[in-house]
Amino acid sequence: MTPLLEVERLEKFFDVSAGTLHAVDGVSFKINQGETLGVVGESGCGKSTLGRVVLHLLESTGGTIKFKGEDITHVNRTKLSELRRKMQIIFQDPFASLNPRMTIFQTLAEPLVIADICKGAELEEKVYKMMDTVGLARRLVNTYPHELDGGRRQRIGIGRALILEPEFIVCDEPVSALDVSIQAQVINLLLDIQRDMKLTYIFVTHDLSVAKFISTNIMVMYLGQVVEFASAKELFDHPVHPYSKALLSAIPNLDIDQESRRIPIQGEVTSPINPKRRCRFATRCRYAKETCMDSEPVLKEYSPGHFVSCLYAEELDQDKKRV
Amino acid sequence: MSDTEKILSIKDLTVHYLPPEEPACKAVNGVSFDIRKGETLGLVGETGAGKTTIALSILRLVQSPPGKILSGSIEFNGENLLEASEAHMRKIRGSEISMIFQDPMTALNPIDSVGDQIAEVVHLHSKCSRAEARIKVEEMLELVGIDKSRYKDYPHQFSGGMKQRVIIAMALACSPELLIADEPTTALDVTIQAQVLDMMNDLKKKLGSSVLLITHDLGIVAEMCDKVVVMYAGQVVEMGDKRSIFKHTSHPYTKGLFGSLPGAFPDSDRLKPIKGLMPDPAALPAGCKFADRCEFCTEQCRAREIGLTEVSEGHYVRCVLAEGGNHH
Repeated sequence: MTPLLEVERLEKFFDVSAGTLHAVDGVSFKINQGETLGVVGESGCGKSTLGRVVLHLLESTGGTIKFKGEDITHVNRTKLSELRRKMQIIFQDPFASLNPRMTIFQTLAEPLVIADICKGAELEEKVYKMMDTVGLARRLVNTYPHELDGGRRQRIGIGRALILEPEFIVCDEPVSALDVSIQAQVINLLLDIQRDMKLTYIFVTHDLSVAKFISTNIMVMYLGQVVEFASAKELFDHPVHPYSKALLSAIPNLDIDQESRRIPIQGEVTSPINPKRRCRFATRCRYAKETCMDSEPVLKEYSPGHFVSCLYAEELDQDKKRV
Repeated sequence: MSDTEKILSIKDLTVHYLPPEEPACKAVNGVSFDIRKGETLGLVGETGAGKTTIALSILRLVQSPPGKILSGSIEFNGENLLEASEAHMRKIRGSEISMIFQDPMTALNPIDSVGDQIAEVVHLHSKCSRAEARIKVEEMLELVGIDKSRYKDYPHQFSGGMKQRVIIAMALACSPELLIADEPTTALDVTIQAQVLDMMNDLKKKLGSSVLLITHDLGIVAEMCDKVVVMYAGQVVEMGDKRSIFKHTSHPYTKGLFGSLPGAFPDSDRLKPIKGLMPDPAALPAGCKFADRCEFCTEQCRAREIGLTEVSEGHYVRCVLAEGGNHH
């Protein structure tokens, strides 16, 4: 089966006054139709930039993107507007991503009008149907974003992304700005529409429990690179990279009877500007050796479907088993 | 523990915001709870539940107008803060009670070095010389894990996590008896959050402070708190020690909060959220405020105001179901 999306050695470098900022640096992955790829990591690891580059909201500076087997790395405007119908995005902040001067109706109808898909009664019908799908009461059709709470606003954002019936959606922290009970409503909605419309997601989040819940595979990013890639279950049961381990152990544990087994991680993320050729996590890694400081690890298949980018992956994993 | 060890005792606090020509926004309605010496109390609830208004009331920082503390008392070491003079409050703020705000990006003055900002607190409250204040500040910076050579650096030269450390250093500089932390780690990454929480726990032990921790994250409550107060629409709906709240969750709202978490039921492929939204604090329903969203709601729930019932020692629940003694 051809993967729906196939990304190889993707790069997005920005020129900044201090040099070159490596926001996304050689990222490769595949997503099959109907799957969800969770992308996790700390602020500044390049996870949002990755989503935007895949959608051509930012142009890549290297590597290839294939959508249903077709190379879409470089496309002209006509092709791009065709792609936009198939590939959409749900933004993080439903307060900033909606036009405050447009009603729900106008926001949901705009993509249909631009794509010249329908008008008149048919347009109205489609908008109302979409409001039903995302759980917005039809009576709200003429309200403005400021009249609505965060959960409803995010439902508009989801409706806007869905109205052209895309096949692929980048969800960029879609629930981070919401309260926990509303967050759960929106996550359930995203799961329902994925099943009903056979959607494929890239789900960018900093919330690891959300990522585990919603993802088929999870990709852990650190300073523009993938440090670990595995199925959600495998990653949580058997993390190998020291960064993934520390990241998972930092999640506050709900079980009050379990001792906290936090693996402390020193310091903060270093600069992605002109990174040296070495393991980017080495300066914070408690297992780092001299070799980590002068050679760059590559992402290797550690066990079937489980990829790790660490020079000492096997050794560290053995140590853990012995203890 | 005896009553004398109560550091803070809030009784029947009611705070409304009264904008002219608009209906009153009933932010806090008859809230009572205590914090004992050395204890960490978690104040939990969603946006608009009244958590921050309570914190601001303790420090008497509720903006007035439109805010108005209508009734109740807030006793701090036996003294009612609601009757204290403004001059006295100024002495208390920052030295005996201090607060860590949610957003470290906006809580610091951008045009003053971080060292000088911490020194201002020390200087104001302990009447020491500048040189002494500087030594104290350097100690505090080291304590929160910032090299003292950064004394003269400005906020923009620090990352979010480091700024929050500066704010914690500032809040703890005078060894306050009560530290109010309003969502102290919400703006931070999970690894930095872990560092900050561990550090807060260490410092709390070292200084013996009590902590009022405002958060919406039950995982943080599990790791940090001794007692938990769950707020909904300006009322306490459930409170007790951490074990009762986590192991014998009684109020349907608290249950809903747990059900909304992706980690709570590992075997389910759907979350169990609470339906609907919190009522508008300007138009609260009569009776139980949670009735509209509650799957167990009966006619009784809307017929009258529901009081708190003690279901086991120190564990209080505001629910008709708990009144009958058959809480589940």
